[in-house]
Amino acid sequence: MAEPAERVRGRRLLVAMLALAALLPVLTLAVRAFADVWRAPALLPQELGLRGLRYAVSAGAGVPQAALNSIVIALLATSAALVLGWPAARALAAASPRVRRALMIAIALPLLVPQFAAGAGLAEWFIRLGISDTLLAVATAHLIYTLPYVVVVLAGAFSSELLELEEAAATAGAGPLQRLMLVSLPASRGALAIAAAMALVVSWSQYGTTLAVGGATTTLPVMLVPFAQSDPQIAATLSLLFLAPVLIALGALTRVLRP
Amino acid sequence: MSSATLRPRAPGAAGAVVVLAVLFGGALAGAGWRSLQPGSIVRDQAPSLDAWRALLRDDAFWDALRFTLGYTAVATLLSAAAALVLAGALRRAGRRARMLAAAPVPVPHLVAATIAVVWLAPGGLAERVLGSLALDVIGDRSGVGIVLVYVYKEVPFLTLLVLAAWTPGVSEREEAAAVLGAGHAARLRHVVWPSVRTALAIGSLVVAAFLLGALEVPLVVGPTRPTALAQYALDATRTAEPLGQAQAAAALLVAAGLATLLALALAKLMGRADG
Repeated sequence: MAEPAERVRGRRLLVAMLALAALLPVLTLAVRAFADVWRAPALLPQELGLRGLRYAVSAGAGVPQAALNSIVIALLATSAALVLGWPAARALAAASPRVRRALMIAIALPLLVPQFAAGAGLAEWFIRLGISDTLLAVATAHLIYTLPYVVVVLAGAFSSELLELEEAAATAGAGPLQRLMLVSLPASRGALAIAAAMALVVSWSQYGTTLAVGGATTTLPVMLVPFAQSDPQIAATLSLLFLAPVLIALGALTRVLRP
Repeated sequence: MSSATLRPRAPGAAGAVVVLAVLFGGALAGAGWRSLQPGSIVRDQAPSLDAWRALLRDDAFWDALRFTLGYTAVATLLSAAAALVLAGALRRAGRRARMLAAAPVPVPHLVAATIAVVWLAPGGLAERVLGSLALDVIGDRSGVGIVLVYVYKEVPFLTLLVLAAWTPGVSEREEAAAVLGAGHAARLRHVVWPSVRTALAIGSLVVAAFLLGALEVPLVVGPTRPTALAQYALDATRTAEPLGQAQAAAALLVAAGLATLLALALAKLMGRADG
């Protein structure tokens, strides 16, 4: 039966509105970043230019260093989360529903603690340990938020079929490393990619934790905040830089997950 | 090798649980200890409740608490209601529409707040397009700007959760109810709502817990007074007052305590959902 024309129109309108809500913000940033002069009430920029980009790449501003710090911290926090999260997710998958729920709550609970609160509390110990203001300290603090996401995502990948495949490989004489490389990792490739992408994005976006623990260790979000109200062009440029890895991670994820 | 030896056991989760317990417990213990140390940050002294007394006497703290609870409640409720409506519109839509609806989920909150400033600040794009705005959204004392940014960010997240619970089985039950004469409102109330409410409630609690302690959005689009609770703590760490650091830690513990209450409610809900 053909769909009523009214419903088709409604659906098209919905898609158009969703597309507008999804694309307009990014488009706004792109235009604002390259608008050297854009005074009210003009709807379009009076003068396009590269002032924002020039600031971002200038040596004195510290943006490249902040971006590098963000990348190193995100990679450290993601790697540690994957190494710790893998065995935890395997254990969760094989646990009884009751144990699974208790473990899941224990692992997810830290996600609900305010980021600045967690960072400020940890900073107390990091100062005593002499590691405050270091990339390692910030990455360790980010682990509070990356590890739970990794465990929750990976737990969905460890089905009983995968465990049976591992057992079959063991019966055929495969050692632990061979089983990991030839069976477990390829079979859970999709979930691993999602978990890694989520952890990277979560660490990359952290503001409160980094501010509390990092001190002089600047990351992109810490750098962006002062410009958000004072200089929209530089804020838009930094926002695009901040957003780019998120979009790249999503694109890579879509490629990995394509059947 | 016997197959039993390959089966993962609960201790496999020990590494992650121990690391999180040390970090989570350490964070709370660190904040607790700092809140009892009103003097130097380097040298320990006898614990004192001076910072807590100063916090409870500070009008700015109570303003921050009321303000934070207010915008958290409004933004969470609005997001939940909008997510329900959007999920209803999307349930028969294709993959493209669902992907577009989910697009704001990975956008960092800070980027969303920056976009809000470009559009909604005085002289911003919204004012240029519409001629004028009825109120100042950025820096508004009632937190309208904060609520708008959070609604933009959290509606897609909650919509995904509701759609996951709004399974084809629920739609089939809706159709059966329609055949039996149930109207639109009756179907929503008696068929859809019982099926999606747990997912929506769990998602809303997660959102509320996040909003209670988040810092960057209020910092960018919120007013200078009252401030968000986390912003109050940040300001306290930056004052020259000897009690500043301790008072900030005490305020953050209040935010963490509120988030923990929500976490307990969440655990209870999840337990009920699992039967």
